[in-house]
Amino acid sequence: MANRVNKIVLCLLALPALLVPLLCLSYLLMRGLPGLDSSFFGLSTLEQNRDGASLSNQHGIVPQIVGSVLLSALACSIAMPLALGLSLFHQLYAGRHSRSFMAHILTTFQSIPPLVYGLCGLVVFVHLLKWGISLAAGAIVLAMIVLPVLTLNTIHALERIPLALTESARSLGMSAGQIIWHVWRPKAWRSLLTGLFLALARTLSETAPILFTATVFSGVIWPDSLLSPVTSLQTHIFYLAQEAVDERILAHAWSSALILVTLVIMFSVIAHFLNRHSAKQ
Amino acid sequence: MNTIHNSAQAATSITSLSEKTDSQSELLPAQNIRVQVNKLSLKRSGRLILNKLNLRLLDCGITSIIGPSGAGKTSLLRCVNGLDKDWKGDITIDGIASKRWPKGEDALRQHIGLIGQKPTVFPCSIANNVMFGIRGKLRKKDNSELIEHCLKQAALWDEVCDRLDHNAQTLSLGQQQRLCIARALAVKPAVLLLDEPTASLDPRSKNKIEASLQSLSKTMPIVVVTHDLEQVRRLGGHTLFMCDGILIEQANSATLLDTPQRVETREFFQWSSCDCPPEENE
Repeated sequence: MANRVNKIVLCLLALPALLVPLLCLSYLLMRGLPGLDSSFFGLSTLEQNRDGASLSNQHGIVPQIVGSVLLSALACSIAMPLALGLSLFHQLYAGRHSRSFMAHILTTFQSIPPLVYGLCGLVVFVHLLKWGISLAAGAIVLAMIVLPVLTLNTIHALERIPLALTESARSLGMSAGQIIWHVWRPKAWRSLLTGLFLALARTLSETAPILFTATVFSGVIWPDSLLSPVTSLQTHIFYLAQEAVDERILAHAWSSALILVTLVIMFSVIAHFLNRHSAKQ
Repeated sequence: MNTIHNSAQAATSITSLSEKTDSQSELLPAQNIRVQVNKLSLKRSGRLILNKLNLRLLDCGITSIIGPSGAGKTSLLRCVNGLDKDWKGDITIDGIASKRWPKGEDALRQHIGLIGQKPTVFPCSIANNVMFGIRGKLRKKDNSELIEHCLKQAALWDEVCDRLDHNAQTLSLGQQQRLCIARALAVKPAVLLLDEPTASLDPRSKNKIEASLQSLSKTMPIVVVTHDLEQVRRLGGHTLFMCDGILIEQANSATLLDTPQRVETREFFQWSSCDCPPEENE
């Protein structure tokens, strides 16, 4: 009897955690799906899309999707080598105290609000280095945001490799580089990719930091260089929702949100799939 | 002291405990000493794991190390191999101080093979496992002869010769341990250290590994840490008894097992044979 009561209580506690996101997702689908027509993706000609021309140009939402993916990919390609370097240092050379200090610092950095990173990026890259609002500034700020997550994930992935394997390789006289490449890499690559996709999903969900450093609402379709501003899904939704008085504009915002959430879910699902395979190894 | 002379005559490993035994070992030709450990001490978390330990290994022969858990047996092997680095004292290998080993500590570890208690094979084929420690230009050559030679030395060739490309993880534990021996031999070590190599293996696998070690001991010094006193007798050679990081006693294996001189050794044997802790008064 007591077990049954426990089960019911726990189910009731768990229900909101599942129900709320599901309801949000359902509502998003309900509001976003009707707007996903050919003009939304810029597949119609300008003439056919004349009414919606104020919302988007002839490319539809594609520049925003490309901008978001570009920012995320650049951020992860900056953060990944740094995370790898930090975690390899942590595993190979850091002493017991340094390891604990590094873990503490990374956890602290993880909990700093992204807005703070955005403000720092604004001061350093936009104003001090005079890069202006640019793809590079946004990507670096996003890289700094995901660096602790990626590093901690990489450290955990390396820690899951059996010590006996590493010691066997060391006792054979293999160098640190050979151990990393021949022992750690085959064992950890799936976990590293999992972390990478989770980081991609995380960068796609950040709005505030790129609002100050990388994105504009209009005037740009494709970035010319790393120092050009970009448009992104996150800020696009933000501006549309803020300025919306027209029902069509709101519908456009919902459809954009649906695309963004789909991208985030896609990266999370890939990460989950890789993680399952990594656990089976 | 007679035991030391006996083992020297038998060209087995020689160890020295005290200054007295050191002076005895000086009678041996210097070029025969492959490994010399002087006053080796190791501290971990404030606890003395090894306490001014002395040890000498000659060109060939088997040296067994016995003692209760926590005696420092594994730590001693790890210090000699270079896996543990925070020790004090001197370890000289082939006349060169291990901390000043030419080409660094990786080369030292290659020179002193160490095989752990649990067989650890890499998730690749049997052939690739044997070749795992060989990198660079040497690996690109046709190494089938070396693979065969090492597997034969480890008494595994007959069982795996027709499936060298199979995953090594499909082998039995006993076979995996012999594969680890073959892998260690492939990098051509001068000394082989084994930490409880037959723990948790069946008698058949034990016999095969022991036979392989006895055969190998004709050409290189082998050190085996073990809890199996019968195995010590079967392996023969020389035996050291360690307790609390101190080398308590050493002698020819049969002599040490049959007529231990120190009370600690007798207590350990009594404890090992009846599988219960000794009386405090003994």
